[in-house]
Amino acid sequence: MKCIRCKAPAHVALPSHHSGFCKDCYPLFFTKQVETAIRREKMFTFDDRVLVALSGGKDSLALMLELHLQGYDVTGLHIDLGIPDSSEKARKKVENFCDLHGLTLEVFEMAKWGLPIPDVKAHVKRPVCAVCGKMKRHHFNRIAVEGGFDVLATGHNLDDEVARLFANTLRWDTAYLSDQGPVLPAAEGFVRKVKPLFRLSEFETANYAFMKGIEIHSDPCPYASGASFTGHKELWGELEHRSPGQKFQFYQSFLKTGKPAFAAMEKETGATLAPCAECGSPTSAETCSVCRIKAAVRESKAKDAG
Amino acid sequence: MITVKLEPDGKVIEMSDTRSVHAVLNKLQLRSTMAIVVRDGELLTPDRMLKNGDALMVRKVTSAG
Repeated sequence: MKCIRCKAPAHVALPSHHSGFCKDCYPLFFTKQVETAIRREKMFTFDDRVLVALSGGKDSLALMLELHLQGYDVTGLHIDLGIPDSSEKARKKVENFCDLHGLTLEVFEMAKWGLPIPDVKAHVKRPVCAVCGKMKRHHFNRIAVEGGFDVLATGHNLDDEVARLFANTLRWDTAYLSDQGPVLPAAEGFVRKVKPLFRLSEFETANYAFMKGIEIHSDPCPYASGASFTGHKELWGELEHRSPGQKFQFYQSFLKTGKPAFAAMEKETGATLAPCAECGSPTSAETCSVCRIKAAVRESKAKDAG
Repeated sequence: MITVKLEPDGKVIEMSDTRSVHAVLNKLQLRSTMAIVVRDGELLTPDRMLKNGDALMVRKVTSAG
């Protein structure tokens, strides 16, 4: 196979684009996809301060490097979940990456805040992935708002978006279907959230991360076994193999046709938000779910101790 | 004989009568966009031919949690 741009031997084959790229031209393809996403969706400008959520995986680190290379004002934010063995490794990768590229990094420690994820797993009778995700989103937003950032960027890729859309569609979850997309505009108490990798698959991001020599944290989370998203990604991998390009088409068609309909429906019936009585974060209840979880863990621990 | 190191699991598998990257992926039951394949530090497309003694790294790309 030859590179579609320069005819040198290809190093990456992309069936969904009917093309292949060599090692010099592939990063140009990747950059163009990110540029297109930022421009078409009006994600941010060179004047904006961008906080990038860094997990240590290929997607978030590739995003951080690419935005830095494009000249954006980026700061990394890593949340140390406090999971024995796993969290130290992830944090080390993020710190090494930021040191190597001279990038600014903030680290927030869940243990110092009083709620490491193992405590959530031990004391909350709900799927730990859902609660952990809620906690992370809460702190990403809070730190972005408090730090005066204009936008929060995450490394979600096309596969993440399609898996999430598929899961929301299986449940016909109107609330989630009304606001899923590559840009979530700023609202009272919420910073604007963007996903500049939404045009790129996990495979495409993995190739970029490898070519750029990014050392990634690839161990799966010890608590994530059996996560439904992994199964959805496998199903979609098979569909994509049979019909290359179907993932992107499914997602784009949703944004154009499905989302506006769900957004209109949600406008009629959706909940209104007000500041949480305890932490001030926007919530549809008096106390936000994160403060409620924190209180529940505190009570459960006290019960166990006493 | 081709030696394949699977990531992130770290497993090492030996394969005989395997002449292309496509054949390696088939034996591992992976579609071509589910893993990157590397030989001597370079990425390989599925149509690339292999030779006896090649050592490959196959890294699955799906993040799980």
